[in-house]
Amino acid sequence: MRRWQLALAAAGFMLSLLLPLVVRSDYHLQVLFRIYLFAALGLAWNLVGGYAGQLSLGHAAYFGAGAYGLALFTRAGVPLWAALVMLMGLAMLFALLIGGVSFRLRGPYFALATIAFAEVLHAAAKNLPSVTGGDVGVPVPALFHTNVNRSFYLCAVLLTAAATAATVVISRSRFGYYLMAIREDQDTALSVGVNAARTKLYALLVSAAFTALAGALYGSLFLFIVPDQVLSIDISNEIAIVAMLGGAGTLAGPMVGAVVLESASEIFKTIFQEAHLLIYGLLLIIVVLFLPEGIMGGIEAILRRRKRQES
Amino acid sequence: MDAFTTLQAVVNGVLTGALYALVGMGMALIFGVMRIVNFAHGTFMMLGMYATYVLFLHGHLIPYYSFPLVALGMYGLGYLIYMGLLRPIHGQSDFMQILLTLGVGLAITDAIQLVFGADYHQINFPLLEKNLHLGSRITVNAPWLVSFGIALVAGAGLYFFVMHTMMGRAARAIAQNRYAAPLMGIHLHRVQAFWFGLGVAAAAVAGSLLLPVFYLYPGVGDQFTLKAFVMVVLGGMESIVGAATAGLLLGVVENLTSLYWGNEWALAVDFVIFLLVLSLRPSGIFGRQKA
Repeated sequence: MRRWQLALAAAGFMLSLLLPLVVRSDYHLQVLFRIYLFAALGLAWNLVGGYAGQLSLGHAAYFGAGAYGLALFTRAGVPLWAALVMLMGLAMLFALLIGGVSFRLRGPYFALATIAFAEVLHAAAKNLPSVTGGDVGVPVPALFHTNVNRSFYLCAVLLTAAATAATVVISRSRFGYYLMAIREDQDTALSVGVNAARTKLYALLVSAAFTALAGALYGSLFLFIVPDQVLSIDISNEIAIVAMLGGAGTLAGPMVGAVVLESASEIFKTIFQEAHLLIYGLLLIIVVLFLPEGIMGGIEAILRRRKRQES
Repeated sequence: MDAFTTLQAVVNGVLTGALYALVGMGMALIFGVMRIVNFAHGTFMMLGMYATYVLFLHGHLIPYYSFPLVALGMYGLGYLIYMGLLRPIHGQSDFMQILLTLGVGLAITDAIQLVFGADYHQINFPLLEKNLHLGSRITVNAPWLVSFGIALVAGAGLYFFVMHTMMGRAARAIAQNRYAAPLMGIHLHRVQAFWFGLGVAAAAVAGSLLLPVFYLYPGVGDQFTLKAFVMVVLGGMESIVGAATAGLLLGVVENLTSLYWGNEWALAVDFVIFLLVLSLRPSGIFGRQKA
């Protein structure tokens, strides 16, 4: 990352923080909140899915751990700040279980194990009414009481900024290079002494912690959560699609993906109403066939080609 | 709960399991043998159910007559999807196949919901009310038994086809070594498209046979995609017999789970078994242990 890119990112986040001075409608703030929330989720997913090349389709597990964690820990009398720490710990515990089981295996097992684990949690949340409230749901404490939409929006921006910073630091560190080496060729990485299973697991732990914070934020905005809302496979899919659409393994990808997907789905929801999953599906097919590296990957490829022609 | 209740659950489990087995065998061909990670498998099953439903409603064909038609149509669809969508991304990572088939699944499911709505449907014909009594305490619902018989024949036919025909040999050759097989004169894409179509058809036939005993709605196939993966992994990847056995096992386990813990835990138990097998014996219960 060059200095001008860093300056651009910093300026972008400054402007984002000032945006509520101009945008005052609650509806628009909520759409913006969703965009930044999914940008943060996409960035978190990107550490595992993009940089390490391990397709997770079960990030709803960590998202749900965040939302339910906030609800259940505070109900048990834990102070808010401790609950936030504990819910991150809970998500990391889940990550440890999933990663421990499936990172030793090659092939699509990791993707399958992530879905299976998330679905087990989904079923548990639905069927243990004494703990989770079951299908009726459970109330989540409000993080903010005044200027609700504005505060949540600012929190989402800060979370995205933190996730971006973490990604920058990781992608430039030895750890980040290990991840990319594993993605490109696991055998070669192993042969030069990279502990692939452990490296992937660390990436998943960081990813899970960020995802859980986003989940807590989401749950607290709605004040009430049910299993189908925060633990469903649709959440997992949406997180993966955001990052893939923007460009897995690129820094700006998840942000671009979140802007495109969330604003597109907001428009589709008003125009086509029920057909927005159809659009999602078609979008996925188009991305795989024509933009396999996502929007940012596609742009980078075009820039590279132009540069080569010039020289 | 006495022994007869448990026995009844086991009998029901075997009957359900035979249909699961058919779904699993289709997935074993697609995922186990040809390594195409098909996340739309349950969607194809659901599509088979809707096709059967339409034939029942407008053609007055009961599922036991219409399933060959459904199989043929879904074979064609599978062939086209392979040639049109999966062939272009041949050689890329699993990642891309998963996302592509996920997209196909989402698009088809939502399209079905737009056409038929999200309501539950059910079909009715005289056979549905018949019950057979085995001894004094065990009852078997007639449509389940007919479906069981057809699934058994279809499964045996599929097995014969894989083991004793040129197409089957070609598929097994690809499973053994996907780089050497084309050098031996096997037309990779034609063979893969054929078996992909057949795997889709197997799922769709299972859907046809489940229609008399299941409620029909657009999301009915969703859980079957994962169940099919579970069966293939438990069965030891390449083995279609292994996948079929795993299907029977899941059927019995689910019915026993429903009996003792409640229906809502059935799916969770499937996945817990899956995660346990992945962590303890990744080559599957029925697979040969590899290093």
